Amino acid sequence: MNTSKPPTMDLQNLNPSSLKSRFATRFLRALTKINAQKPISPSSPTEIFQRYRRIKVAADKSMAYSVRSRRTWSRATLWRLRTRSPRSRLATLARRSSVKTRTTTVVDKTSHGKENKEERGAGLGVEEEELRELVPGGEAMDLCNLLDETAHYIKCLTTQVQVMRTIANLYSLD
Amino acid sequence: MELNAGTGGNGSHKTASERDEVAALESLQFTDEIRRLMSAPGGDNASSFTALLELPAPQAVQLIHSPESAKLIAAPAPAPAPNVDDFRGSFQFPFNCGLIDRAARFSVFAGDGNINGNNKSNSPEPTSYNSSASLQKPVKSEPAETESSQPLVSDPTVENRSIKRKDREKVKGSSKKSKTSVKESSDDAEKLPYVHVRARRGQATDSHSLAERARREKINARMKLLQDLVPGCSKISGTAIVLDEIINHVQSLQRQVEFLSMRLAAVNPRIDFNLDSVFTAESGSLMDSNFSGMVIPMMWPEVQLNGNRQQYPQQLHLDAFQQPVSGREEVCNSYITPENSLLNYDSSGNSA
Repeated sequence: MNTSKPPTMDLQNLNPSSLKSRFATRFLRALTKINAQKPISPSSPTEIFQRYRRIKVAADKSMAYSVRSRRTWSRATLWRLRTRSPRSRLATLARRSSVKTRTTTVVDKTSHGKENKEERGAGLGVEEEELRELVPGGEAMDLCNLLDETAHYIKCLTTQVQVMRTIANLYSLD
Repeated sequence: MELNAGTGGNGSHKTASERDEVAALESLQFTDEIRRLMSAPGGDNASSFTALLELPAPQAVQLIHSPESAKLIAAPAPAPAPNVDDFRGSFQFPFNCGLIDRAARFSVFAGDGNINGNNKSNSPEPTSYNSSASLQKPVKSEPAETESSQPLVSDPTVENRSIKRKDREKVKGSSKKSKTSVKESSDDAEKLPYVHVRARRGQATDSHSLAERARREKINARMKLLQDLVPGCSKISGTAIVLDEIINHVQSLQRQVEFLSMRLAAVNPRIDFNLDSVFTAESGSLMDSNFSGMVIPMMWPEVQLNGNRQQYPQQLHLDAFQQPVSGREEVCNSYITPENSLLNYDSSGNSA
């Protein structure tokens, strides 16, 4: 994917339309927006928590947008984010309960306590379930596509973590 | 006296050796069957074996009770008929080709555990025992030979049948790994006009298992790719463990995203962010070089598009780098976004 080089800058040849650059663009824009709209306030925990939520949403959203609708998980993420706050809770609860019988109060990809789950025997079955829970949109896929999606999802998550870590390092260098 | 069995009436005698062989072979097979049959009430003329021989039950039993095998069979035979006693001494096996065929067929069935087709008519399994020539084909179905076997041939056919039985069992034993035994599948294939597919040894040939096998191979290929993607997974073998590792990796990545966003939120929001200085500083410890390379080419289309800068209520600049401070201060004086700071950077010619 490293094909084009900028004309005057001698940098590492990275594709300007690569996933990383697309994501970084979007995320930086969103980040600046969030930073911009924040009123001048002391950093109270609730304030920070709010910002954290917004930043996380922005990160997920920008990553999903970078992938467009090419992947099931990105579509699922965008759908989740879209139907989020206004009447989201009911919508997501209805959607989730139709697939699995669980009660979730907050749409959060990672809020599943899996530390208690033991291996129940039918090896592929339990891990398959867990994987489906982890990967957004994974409930309705067969195993073959699920593994595909997982691979792409891992790649995108890695990119996301890289970019965010770099930005955080830059931020915190004062 | 001889017994003349049903149809043919051709009572040619067997030699003693042949009779002994046959009797021994049959006694091996028949002991359990006979016990069962004998314990059944005597008027059980419709039972499989006796009907096969078309003899009344006690005479059929006597037929089997050759002098040698009399010891093997524990239960005494009911002997209501007076003429039966004559047999004990001079028992002659009433050789009849039809009888032998049927008896051997029955033995074949007993050995295989399929006791079907008790009828004398050429049962649907003539191929099983007629195929003395096809002993060497463990997988393929046997060709059908003629039903009638001559007396001369019948003895070797009996032997061959027993040998073939063992061969078949051996084949079955070797192909145990297939879900459906190859013999059964080939038997099914015999009766129906299927296309015979030469499967790998020990694997079934029906379409379901083929599709299943293809699916499994696809899944295994993808698991290999995932193993390469997840660090530390290539040495592990075993699907469940690899999946566990993958799940752990995905969870850790998601958690890292959360922590990083928390960090970004907790960072003092008043920090002014200027990417300008980022790209000038060549210190690798401060920034990801990929990051710098990635952002700059991205900005190039914006260089042409954004002729003017947009103003934001908050000034964003980063005084992170203490070394290259002086040259950058002037750049950060205006309200600029990080993207436009690059524009500025470019136009001001601050190249590294």
